[in-house]
Amino acid sequence: MNEGKRGRAVRYLLVILVMFFIIAPFYWIYSSSLKVSTEIVAQSPTLFPESITFGHYANLLSSSDYPIYLTNSAIVSFATMVITVVLSTSAAYGLYRLPFPGRKTIYRLILLAYIFPGSLLLIPLYVMLSRLNLLDTQLALVIINVTFAAPFSVWLLKAFFASIPFELEEAASLDGASWLQTLLLVVLPLASPGVASVAIFAFITSWTEYMFASVLIISDANRTLPVGLAGIIGQYVIDWGLLLAGAGATTLPIILLFVLIGRFFVNGLLEGGVKA
Amino acid sequence: MGIFLVAPLVIWLVATIAYPIFSLIRLSFLDVGVIGTGGEFVGLDNYQRVLNSRAFWPSMGRSVVWVLGNGLLQTVLAFVAALVLNLPFRGRALARTWVILPWIVPAVVAVIVWKWMLGTSGGVVNMILLRLGLIQEQVGFFSTGNTAMASLVGINSWRFFPLLTIIILAGMQGIPKDRYDAAGVDGASAWQRFINITIPGLKPVLFVMGLVGTLWSVNIFDVIYLVTGGGPSRATLTMPVLIYDMAFLQYRLGRAAAAAVLMAVAVTIFTVAFIYFLAPGSEEEDEEWG
Amino acid sequence: MFSKYPRTLLAFLLVAILAFALAPAQAQDAVEIVIWHMEQPPQRVERVQGLIDEFNAANPGIVVSQDVQSWGEIYTKAPASVVAGNAPDILFAIPDFTPIIRELGAVQAVDDFVAEIDETHGYLDVGIEPYTSDGQVWAIPLWNMAHAIWYNVDDLEEAGIEEPTTWDEWASAVEALTGEGRYGIGLPANRNLYTDQVVYNFMINAGASALYNDDGSLRFNNEQTVRALDFYSQLSQYSPPDSPSWAWGEAEVCLGSGTCAMVNQFAFLRSYEANGGDPANLGVMPMPVDEGVEDPGTISYVNAAMILTDDAAKQEAAYEFLRFIFQPENYGLFLNMEPGLFLPITESGFESESYWSDPLVVKYREQLETVLDYSRSGRLFGFTGGQTFPSIARISAQNLLSQVGQLVVVDGMGATEAAEEGEYLMMEAIE
Repeated sequence: MNEGKRGRAVRYLLVILVMFFIIAPFYWIYSSSLKVSTEIVAQSPTLFPESITFGHYANLLSSSDYPIYLTNSAIVSFATMVITVVLSTSAAYGLYRLPFPGRKTIYRLILLAYIFPGSLLLIPLYVMLSRLNLLDTQLALVIINVTFAAPFSVWLLKAFFASIPFELEEAASLDGASWLQTLLLVVLPLASPGVASVAIFAFITSWTEYMFASVLIISDANRTLPVGLAGIIGQYVIDWGLLLAGAGATTLPIILLFVLIGRFFVNGLLEGGVKA
Repeated sequence: MGIFLVAPLVIWLVATIAYPIFSLIRLSFLDVGVIGTGGEFVGLDNYQRVLNSRAFWPSMGRSVVWVLGNGLLQTVLAFVAALVLNLPFRGRALARTWVILPWIVPAVVAVIVWKWMLGTSGGVVNMILLRLGLIQEQVGFFSTGNTAMASLVGINSWRFFPLLTIIILAGMQGIPKDRYDAAGVDGASAWQRFINITIPGLKPVLFVMGLVGTLWSVNIFDVIYLVTGGGPSRATLTMPVLIYDMAFLQYRLGRAAAAAVLMAVAVTIFTVAFIYFLAPGSEEEDEEWG
Repeated sequence: MFSKYPRTLLAFLLVAILAFALAPAQAQDAVEIVIWHMEQPPQRVERVQGLIDEFNAANPGIVVSQDVQSWGEIYTKAPASVVAGNAPDILFAIPDFTPIIRELGAVQAVDDFVAEIDETHGYLDVGIEPYTSDGQVWAIPLWNMAHAIWYNVDDLEEAGIEEPTTWDEWASAVEALTGEGRYGIGLPANRNLYTDQVVYNFMINAGASALYNDDGSLRFNNEQTVRALDFYSQLSQYSPPDSPSWAWGEAEVCLGSGTCAMVNQFAFLRSYEANGGDPANLGVMPMPVDEGVEDPGTISYVNAAMILTDDAAKQEAAYEFLRFIFQPENYGLFLNMEPGLFLPITESGFESESYWSDPLVVKYREQLETVLDYSRSGRLFGFTGGQTFPSIARISAQNLLSQVGQLVVVDGMGATEAAEEGEYLMMEAIE
C-alpha cells in the first residue's frame, strides 16, 4: 500500500517533469509578452508578470498584416493537407494492398526524398517555378510542402493499410465492387484514424515551413506567418515586446487548432500502432 | 493497378526533386559564381577544391556530431517521455496530446524563445541556475564551441523529440499485451521487460525513425543559422550551413553544388548501409508482400 | 438658392464622370515602378508607404509600389529574381551588396543623376565613394548610418569617470565599471554584420582602416590590426558571457537594462525609448582613439538605391520618385522612419525642418548632434582610399572581420596569429 502510494507520487512527478520541459518555454513567451517593455528587458527577469499590458499585441495587430499572414498560412496548409492526403493514401493503397513488382524499391525511394539539403534545392526550384510563372504564389508553396510532407505520410499509413484483412477486399470484389469502391468504402473507413493523422502531419509541416516561404514569396500580401514573424525582427533594432507578441500570436492559432483536433492526431497514431 | 496509384506521388516527387537534383549535379561541373551568372565546364575542379579546402572535412565531422547528438538526445528524451506517458495516470490523454506542442511551432519561434531564455541579460535559465546555486556566474551558452553545439542540439531536439515520442508510443500500442502478461508470470523486472519485449517490438518503428530522423536532422539549417550562423569560430558550421555559405556568401555556386553532391553521396552511403544492416525482418516482409 | 444645388451637383457629377473616364486611360499609360527594400519593421513600411501615396497622388503618370524583403534572404533572392526576370526597378543596397548584383549585369550606372542630387542637395563625401567603381557610380546614396559609443551617464558618474578619449583611459574605465553582474562594456563576438562593424571600429581607431593597398593587394595583417585585435580581446573580458551570440538588439537591451555600462552601436532611439530609457541618462561619445592615430572615425553604412530597370521611361520615373524623396520637406520624414538610426547623407538634409521636428529627434537632439557630427568621419571597410575593389563583397558577405574577432575572443588565439589567419581567410575568399 505504502509502496503503491510512493509509486504514484513518483509517477506524477515524472509526468510533471516531462510536461514542464514541454510547456515552460511557452509559458515564458506568453507571460513575457504581457509585460511592459521595461520589465521584459529587466536585468533579473520576473517569473510572473508584475505589469500586465496587451499593448504589444495591439501594436502587432495595428502595425503588421497579421490577419493576412494568418489567412495565407491557413490556405497554404489546408491545400497542402488535402493534396498530401489524396496522393499519399492513393500511393499507400497501391503500395500496401495491390502488389506489383518493384514496389519495395519505390517505397524506399520515396523516403529518400529527404536526402538532399533543401537549401540547395532552393535555387533550381526557384528558377523552375519562375519559368512556370508560379513565383510569389501560394501554389508554389503548396507544391513544395507536399513534396516534403508526402513521403513520411506514406510510411505513417502503412500500419493502417497493412492491418486490414485482405478477406474484406476479396469479399468486396466478389460483390462486384471496383477497386475505387473498395478503397473508398472498405479500406479508407478502416484506415481513417491514420488518414486523420496524416492530414494533421501535412498541415503542421506546411504551417512551420520557413525557408521556401521566405524566398519564393515576394509580396507582403502572400506571406505566411513564420516569414511575417521573421519580418518583425528587423535589422539593427529589436522591439522585444513586439517580437514576443509576434511569437505568441504565431503560436496561438495552431494551439487553438490543436485544442480541437490534436487528439485525432495522437489517437489516430496510437490506435493504429505503427509498423515499418 | 497498384503502380497507377503510386504514380501520381512518384511523378510529383520526380518533378520537384529529380529536376533540381539534376540541375544541381550539372552545376557542380561548372565554375559558376553568383547565382545566375554563366559558367564554363571545369570537370572535377570544383570537387577537387572542395575536398582540398580546410572547411570541408571539419564540417563533415560536425555534421556527424550533430546527427549523433540529435539522434541520441532525441531518442533518450522520446523514450523517457513515451514510457512516462504510457504509465497510467489521470489526464493521460491530455498529456499525450500536448506533448506534441514544441513540434507544431515554427522554428523561428523556437529560436526566439530559446535564445531569449538562454541569454545572459535577463535570461531566465541563467537566473534559475544561479538561484539554485548550480552555477556561480552566468553561463554564455553560445560563447564556446562546445556549449554552442550542445545548446543547438538541445534546441533542435526539443522541437523534434515530441514527434518521436508519439511515434514510439504508437509503436508500443502495437506490441501485443500478452507478451507482457507472459513476462509478468515469469517474474521479469520492468527493465527486463523493456529490453526483451519493448525494444524488439519497436524495432521496425525505430528503424524507419532512425532513417528518416537522420535524413531530417542532417539537413537542419534554419535553427543553426538563425542562432549562431555557424559560429562561434565555425564550431557549429555543419554541412548545410557550409553549403549555404559557399553558395550565397562566398558566391561559389559551382563549388557549393559539388559540396552538396558530396554530402548527398555520404548520406546515401549511410542510408544504404543502414537499410542493408538494420532493416528488420525483411524476409518476413517479402513473404508477407509476396 | 435652389438653383445653386443642382449646379454644384452637376459640376460634381461632371468631374466624377471625367475622373472615371480618364482614370483608366491614365492607369494604362502610367509607368509602374516596383521598389524592393529591406526595412521590415512595420512603422518603416508604413512611413515609406505614406510617401509613396503622396508621390503617386501628385504624379498621375507614375505608380510606385513597394515590396518589403529581408536582409536575411535578399542575397539569395535578388540574384534569383534577376535570373528569373522579375527583378524590381529600384533595389535598396548597402555598399557590399552592389558588386554582387553588378556581376549579373543588372545595375545601371547613375552618375548623372547622382551629380544632379549632389548639386541640389550636397552629398557628404562619405556618400558617393562606396558606390563608385570602375570610374562610375552604381547607386544613389539615400542615407547614412554611423556607430558611436553609447553609455549610461549614471554609471560613469557613480564611478567618477569622465568620457575616456584614449585607449588607456578607456581600458581602465571599462575595468572600473565592471563588477557584480555588471559589465563595463558590451562587445559582440558573433559571426555577423554587427561584430564586423564593431571590430572595424577598433581597427579604424588603431589606424588600420585600409584593408587594401593601392594596387588591390590585401594589407589586413599589419601592426595596427594586431593592436586593434589585441585590445578587442582585452576589453571583451569585461563583456557579458553571451556576447558571442549577440546582434544589435542584445546590445541595446544590455545597455537599456543597465547590465552594460556602454556599447558600440547605431543610434537606437526608438527601442531605447520603448524600453523605458531616460534621455538624460543616455550618453554618447566618439570611440576613444589609440595613441598616435591621426585619422580616427567610425564605421558608417551608406544605404543607397540601385536602378535595375533598363527601360528609359522607368528610369526617369524612378529618378522622379527619388527627387521627391530628397526634397527637404520629405527627406526628414523618410529618414525618420527610424529616428536616429538613419542619418542624412545630404547637407540639405542636415538642415531640414522635417528632420529635426520628429518628436524623438527633438527629445534626443543633443545625442543626435554628437552622432551627426561624428558621422562625417564615417568610412567602411574596403571602401577607403578613393578606390574600391569588388572582392570586398566576398570578404564582408562571409563576415570575415567578425570571424577574426571570434578567433581572439572565443578561441583565445593571440592577436598576431589571428591577423595572419584573417589575411589567409581573406585571400582564400577572394582568390
